[in-house]
Amino acid sequence: MAAAQQATVDTGKVKDLLAAHRAEMKRYLSHCMHCTLCAESCFLFMARDKDPRYMPSYKVLNSLGVLYRRRGRVERSFLEKIKKIVWRNCVLCRRCYCPVGVDIPRMIALARAVCRSQGVYPDFDEQGHQESWL
Amino acid sequence: MEEFIRGPLVWIAFAVFFAGLLLQGWLFFRNTSPRQRRRLAVPEPKKKKPQKDKKTPLTPAALYAWLVNGSSACYQRHWPRLRRTVLFTHPFMTVVTVVFHTFLFAAPLLARAHNELLRRGLGAGLPSLADAAVDAMTLVVLLCGAIFLWRRLLVRRVRAITTFYDYLVLAITLAPFVTGFMAAHHWLDYHTVILVHIGCGELMLMAIPFTKLGHMIYFFLYRFLLPGEYSFGQGSRAW
Repeated sequence: MAAAQQATVDTGKVKDLLAAHRAEMKRYLSHCMHCTLCAESCFLFMARDKDPRYMPSYKVLNSLGVLYRRRGRVERSFLEKIKKIVWRNCVLCRRCYCPVGVDIPRMIALARAVCRSQGVYPDFDEQGHQESWL
Repeated sequence: MEEFIRGPLVWIAFAVFFAGLLLQGWLFFRNTSPRQRRRLAVPEPKKKKPQKDKKTPLTPAALYAWLVNGSSACYQRHWPRLRRTVLFTHPFMTVVTVVFHTFLFAAPLLARAHNELLRRGLGAGLPSLADAAVDAMTLVVLLCGAIFLWRRLLVRRVRAITTFYDYLVLAITLAPFVTGFMAAHHWLDYHTVILVHIGCGELMLMAIPFTKLGHMIYFFLYRFLLPGEYSFGQGSRAW
């Protein structure tokens, strides 16, 4: 894990992953109306005193949304930042509901895949005792 | 410039609008994954409904029992799911959104002036409502728009993900209604206001297929064609 943290980001791999789902994901991102009506469908949002950072739309826009906006050109520090969003702030229970029909879990899953491709994922053996993941 | 806005740009706007919608529809089907298409093609088998006992005579007692037990079963089956829908978690916003979208279409389509132009241009138009009714619908659209703006500016959770683009889309949507109302009541210089109104309408039409406003077509594509737990297609629970 420590070696993975020091390694640079393979932007080519990240770009390939993003490109494979570009049409669908860009369409979903562009049709999110930022209405926040999805918020209550997330049990973590409800359990965290309705903290906006736990809204499904917030999680998607600040992880996958930024990845697409930067066209995959991201640093490891950014991937470490979104690791908390896509793993700790979302358990991918697939219960988030979008009135327009945007497939939010699919987008979080892709953000996780991008992180995982760069060795960025929670290591419970090492980090489990350091911070609360749920 | 004025002649261009009143003449060719109207047709350009309609052409871009309809061609854009067709393009987005084509892109949707082209980019829907094979797995999703396969699920579309093979509907899930429907559960068999229990057969009713046809021999039971329809007495008042039987009817009462059917009504009470039937309603109770219906309530127990659907209420827990309904309780978690947007209608129950956000009743106010659900009503505002539904009314906004209904009048957003109804007001321009049923405005007398618009249909008069259609009759002059194409020889046919839709039935028109009284001016007062269209005025009322326009004001309701603007009120709903003001509520959306209020949420964007003051509600913490909405502000957390609001960008300049959201304000721009809201402005593009509401501008034809503001200027249309002003033109209908001859506020300010009519000649200028009607020109701005036409320009705003053309801008909105051209923006619909290529901006967030594309949810006009994608709402139906997502909701009816992509199977999922919450869609109207044959989705199933994923959990």
